Amino acid sequence: MLEGILIGLGTALNPYNLVFVVVGCFVGTFIGMLPGLGPMSAIALMIPIAAGLDPAAGIILMAAVYYGAIFGGSTSSILINAPGVASTVATSFDGYPMAKQGKAGKALAIAAYSSFSGGVIGAILLLIAAPFLAQVSLAFHSTDYFALMVLGLTAVAAFAGQGNVLKAMLMTVVGLMLSTVGTDQTQGVQRFTLGMIDLLDGVSFLLLVMATFALSEALMAILKPKGDADRLKEKEASSNLGSMKIEKEEVKEMAPVIGRSSIMGFIIGVLPGAGATIASFLAYGTEQRLAGPEKGKLFGKGSVRGLSAPETANNAAATGSFVPLLTLGIPGSGTTAIMLGALIGYGIQPGPRLYLDQPAVFWSVIVSMWIGNIVLLVLNLPLIPYIAKILAIPSRFLLPLILFFSLIGVYFVSFNTFDIQLMIIFAVAAVALRLLDFPLAPMILGFILGGMMEDNLRRALLINDNSWSFLWERELTLTILAIAALTLFVPMLLPLYQRWRKNADRAGEGG
Amino acid sequence: MFFTKRRIGGLLLLAFCVTYGLLSQQIPLLPIQARSAFNAKTMPEVLSVLGIALSLAIVFLPAPGEYLELKGKAWGMTIAFLVLMSFYGLTIRPLGFVLSSSILLGVGYWILGERKWWLLLITSVPVATAFWALMSLGLGVFIEPLPWFLRG
Repeated sequence: MLEGILIGLGTALNPYNLVFVVVGCFVGTFIGMLPGLGPMSAIALMIPIAAGLDPAAGIILMAAVYYGAIFGGSTSSILINAPGVASTVATSFDGYPMAKQGKAGKALAIAAYSSFSGGVIGAILLLIAAPFLAQVSLAFHSTDYFALMVLGLTAVAAFAGQGNVLKAMLMTVVGLMLSTVGTDQTQGVQRFTLGMIDLLDGVSFLLLVMATFALSEALMAILKPKGDADRLKEKEASSNLGSMKIEKEEVKEMAPVIGRSSIMGFIIGVLPGAGATIASFLAYGTEQRLAGPEKGKLFGKGSVRGLSAPETANNAAATGSFVPLLTLGIPGSGTTAIMLGALIGYGIQPGPRLYLDQPAVFWSVIVSMWIGNIVLLVLNLPLIPYIAKILAIPSRFLLPLILFFSLIGVYFVSFNTFDIQLMIIFAVAAVALRLLDFPLAPMILGFILGGMMEDNLRRALLINDNSWSFLWERELTLTILAIAALTLFVPMLLPLYQRWRKNADRAGEGG
Repeated sequence: MFFTKRRIGGLLLLAFCVTYGLLSQQIPLLPIQARSAFNAKTMPEVLSVLGIALSLAIVFLPAPGEYLELKGKAWGMTIAFLVLMSFYGLTIRPLGFVLSSSILLGVGYWILGERKWWLLLITSVPVATAFWALMSLGLGVFIEPLPWFLRG
């Protein structure tokens, strides 16, 4: 292994390849910041350039663009509540409130440090455990994936504070319902398309998230005009926008969160199909539960833990997704599928023999991840104070700009004007639900996981001869489902138990 | 009063779930598909039952007395923006990207109170043009920039 690392270091630190790491990180961050263009589009745009390079340099460039784009996506999530990709949705839950409090610089810095740590720890784990984890990922069947999606849905509990459990659960169901719109993939049947051709492919994630997060946020700001007192408060807060100062206490708070979320993110990233989105939601939900009642209440209101956990997890998962790609030749996500195509284009067949046949490619990709993460941090930290100043733009200019970027972010993907009208309908519904205090994040969670959950459940039933017995007969599935049930019901039942115990104690004292 | 924020939301979502449930009954299945344990209707049916049950619970369980406040909000301005966005969707093809986007931005700034014409112009047309150049010339994502009457 040491020999391999040295080969990797030699290749990745070659000045020629180093230039591609820097360029890739920069271009990736920039493209990732544009709403609508995520890591997949960024990598796809790099294919023609990478095709002209040697394999190691090409793959290094694409990997650098990948994690650059993931980091860039967090920036638009934090600043304007417009997560362009599913894996940065959870980042906006606490990142955006923090930015609204005038701490945009700090939020971006926390995101940068967390991404860096997640990426670096992920790369270390990749180095140590890649071949072993590849075997573990193969042991996961459809039934386990279904259970994993159910576990992902329990992250909904994080939004269920203050007696809102039912509301959060209902919104998750609404999200799951929206995920069923379009042509059913297995049976080819149209569902809820209302006879419209434009709905045959269903509702796109980007459209839904842009409408319910970015558009509705901008419309709410227009609907509730700010008073003089609010403006004064905002002006005071914006004077500190670019500050990246993180308190010592906050660093202490972040450290264990980063450790836990990196490991969790990496392991989930290794599983093909699970990926960075589930990792970020699960890390968010887990940290909310571990934070205790006092700090847990701060989640969704600009919590340091709430921002750090998903940011760390999604980067660690992005690194983890290279395990099945490099060791088994299985792409775990759309992004790694494009990279698989590029590798095959170079005449390289990823699989168990990759690190024997092409050690320079295998190890240089892993080593370039460390270097790439360092480059990302060095590139982005000095820019944060300037990027954060976007929020200092007067709202009469900023709000139309947010609307513009959200609309074209979706239009540039589909080139369908129907999508713009559909976005407006969703945005109106989202504004109504926000006015009625119904949480929108669980709906997005349900929407993201809905399709995958249905596919895996259907596959599991087909494999098991239409029998549901796999739910209790397969140990791994049962264990994951039991964890899901515990995470959902224990926080709900705990207050009831505490109340019952208090009453029992009081009765005991009285008697 | 019965109609708290929570109950209004519950009723709206109940209507949505009932409509979804009714539409789920119209999903066309072949006999062979209908016989399988899990078909295209299964998940929608389960979800509609869950959704209806949860919304009924929200409507009928005791709720905190928080009421919807409609006064003091800029409804006119918000509706103007919705119309403007819809207009953008209708005109982006015939008017081309640069002109339609400049209208969206310029009129948007104007609705929110900016009245200096030169400022409206320099903050809308260059933004739309620069973004078109970045996407089409820089990243190769082409979109027609010109209105229909100027196209060759």
